[in-house]
Amino acid sequence: MSYPIGSSLLDGIVLAVVERESTYGYRITQDVQKVLEISESTLYPVLRRLQKDGCLTTYDEAFAGRNRRYYKITEHGRARLRQHRIDWQNYRSGIDAIFFGGESQ
Amino acid sequence: MNRTEYMAALRRALAVLPEEERASALRYYEEYFDDAGPENEQKVIADLGAPEQVAAQILADYREVAAVPQPGGAATQPQKRRWRGVSPWLLLVLVLLAIPVGIPLAGVLLGLIAAALGVLLSVVLVASVFIVIIPLCLLAAGVILCGFSFALWGAPASAVTTLGCGLALFALGILVTLLMVKLCTLFIPPLFRLLVAAIRWPFDRIRNRNHKTGGETE
Repeated sequence: MSYPIGSSLLDGIVLAVVERESTYGYRITQDVQKVLEISESTLYPVLRRLQKDGCLTTYDEAFAGRNRRYYKITEHGRARLRQHRIDWQNYRSGIDAIFFGGESQ
Repeated sequence: MNRTEYMAALRRALAVLPEEERASALRYYEEYFDDAGPENEQKVIADLGAPEQVAAQILADYREVAAVPQPGGAATQPQKRRWRGVSPWLLLVLVLLAIPVGIPLAGVLLGLIAAALGVLLSVVLVASVFIVIIPLCLLAAGVILCGFSFALWGAPASAVTTLGCGLALFALGILVTLLMVKLCTLFIPPLFRLLVAAIRWPFDRIRNRNHKTGGETE
């Protein structure tokens, strides 16, 4: 069973992945696909949007005779991620309370 | 389909994007192929799905992002829609409530318009009186003096003087008439144009505003 993933949750997930270490498109897709069923074409628009919002910046680094574009989180992105974490905690404790009868909180 | 064909199809499907956006998306997917490795080329093509679908996702998101940086346009539109949706009953109540204020206001407005028209009319009248009366008086005075001079032939000197004055006045009258005609042809058309422009101005403004809001909905 899988739950649909809203664009706001996807933003938070991508920000969290990039916060761990600066990384590139293919790797981000692989990492997210380990836990979520997303299509290979889902993440480019998310990355582009986060970049335009000033949450991510890009830089190029030589790799195997070509330039690879890396994504790096900005201070604004970190602040946004903190808010995503708070929102997620609230969301999860609400669902947990319904699922498990208030065992978690 | 191989990688080259796939990327060409994606480029075509993204043709409507600005150059910078298209280049960024194409670069991302070129790198995606590079990082997946040539051995996975067919797998990547299968996983990504049809290029048109990939493009559709990019385009949908681009429109969303592009719509965000215009808070003015986006914010005023829903408001306008809400206004259009005012219920007829509320409108009726508003109109009824507005009557005690509206009727005196309308009266004052009508009075002001009438006064402005009156002033305009009197100015035109005075101007035309000056334009017509002055040359006419001069011409008439000239004719009368000339006629009068014939009654003075008893004293030829006074008769000739009077005739001379009469002729001079008549000539002056003709000159002033020509001057007035010239002034009228010079000033009346621009004045009319100014008047027409002043009357058209509010209508043009309304039309322009409708034009602008129409452009936003496109």
